[in-house]
Amino acid sequence: MRLNLVLELLDIPGQLTDALEPIGRLGANIVTIIHQRDVKTERGTVPVQITIEGDNETLDKVINALENQNIQIMEIDGVLRKETIRTILIGDIVDKDLKDALKQFNDVDGIKVVDLNLKMSDNPEKSASKFIIEAEQGKRRHVMKKIKNIGTSKGFMVINEV
Amino acid sequence: MKICILGFGAVGKGVAKVFSMKKNEVNEKYGIDLKITAVTDTSGAAISNEGLDPDLLLRVKEDTGGVSNYPEHGVSGISNMEVLDKADYNCLVEVTPTDIEDGEPAKSHILKAFNDKKDVVTSNKGPLALSFKVLADSAKDNAVQFKFEASVGGAMPIINFAHETLSGNEINSIQGILNGTTNYILSRMAKEGSSYEQILKESQELGIAETNPAQDVEGLDAACKVVILANSLMNMDVNLNDVEITGISKITPEAISLAQKEGYLIKLIGEISEDTLEVAPRLVKEGSPFAVEGTLNVATLKTDLAEDVTVVGKGAGSIETASAILSDIISIYKAK
Repeated sequence: MRLNLVLELLDIPGQLTDALEPIGRLGANIVTIIHQRDVKTERGTVPVQITIEGDNETLDKVINALENQNIQIMEIDGVLRKETIRTILIGDIVDKDLKDALKQFNDVDGIKVVDLNLKMSDNPEKSASKFIIEAEQGKRRHVMKKIKNIGTSKGFMVINEV
Repeated sequence: MKICILGFGAVGKGVAKVFSMKKNEVNEKYGIDLKITAVTDTSGAAISNEGLDPDLLLRVKEDTGGVSNYPEHGVSGISNMEVLDKADYNCLVEVTPTDIEDGEPAKSHILKAFNDKKDVVTSNKGPLALSFKVLADSAKDNAVQFKFEASVGGAMPIINFAHETLSGNEINSIQGILNGTTNYILSRMAKEGSSYEQILKESQELGIAETNPAQDVEGLDAACKVVILANSLMNMDVNLNDVEITGISKITPEAISLAQKEGYLIKLIGEISEDTLEVAPRLVKEGSPFAVEGTLNVATLKTDLAEDVTVVGKGAGSIETASAILSDIISIYKAK
């Protein structure tokens, strides 16, 4: 059978070779690879589409090996494995300790803050910070609740996505 | 059909205007003879079992400030409860000012009308948000009809739409922009990059925000609507205290600009779902159904069969609200 994967690679030399290595080693065949270095995700990483062929057992082994190598798999057969959640916090980032909020977000199981943007105001209370968070597919509501609880407990006003 | 209107402010006057505009059309189309037999305001009442002239009512109100000055049929100093005893009517239109502390005096008016076996149409959010079950039970016990389309979203069709057009569907959640004033303020902040305080001041000058804007900007008005939708469309038994409320007064231009950088807007969203009853500013994608501007209201109902259905409409305004009241009156008549 065939499996379509979308991998997410860092834009540094050697990444693609590393990602392809376990496929050949474990006995799966590569059917196609689409790799365009100029097309990047919002995090600056490069998405690579790969179709591989093999029996079920081999394909499972390949997925496991890629995950063990910390290679991000964005999609398997068109199904997203991760989703992106945006949140804005309003409030003084020093006074209310944004750094600790960030740490607490990252401590939530299955989520990772992948981008943080700040917009400062003359009145520090009015400053805003925007988080882009990656979460496991299907955990959106749960993650948004957690984020709101953490942000609110630090004294920020939390604006989640709808 | 004999109508008693309690309250002659923006909505009450809108109803009179709409009656004047549509009386003949409603008669021809549905065979309903709309007759206003009583109207009240703080000055007293005008009562005539033969029917009052809506244009004259509006003129008297405009010129003298009170409907009790209506020629021949004006009665000064009479209370609303007395009028309900005295007037000959089939359907009460309850549009007195909204009170969100105890829902009175509207709640007592509505209950009295039910006990007197009269149908009731209202736009009054207070009693609906605080005592929905008491009112709905009383209407059922007295075998009368109770309609309140105008209480949520003005002219945006939602309650009757969900009950009738979407019948057979189970509604799993509702999300929407349920307050026009806050949507206007947030839309202008996004467009002009100005501060909340400045846009609020201008909105007050334009008459879009009230002199005391707290109910709108602190999210209370939207929360009342969340309660009404939860109780009437999703069979919940909740009240205002069950809603987690965050208003828009702390939204800053900095936050809006960060959101816009990535194609998002900030809107005040009401949400009703199994585990959430909330009014809070949320991020919505530009170009999505929630990215409406001005005083528009919008709501998306997630249903089991029809999936997502979105409705949009003018959320406030005297004629727009009266349009919802008129449609309730007509549907009561049609169900007879």
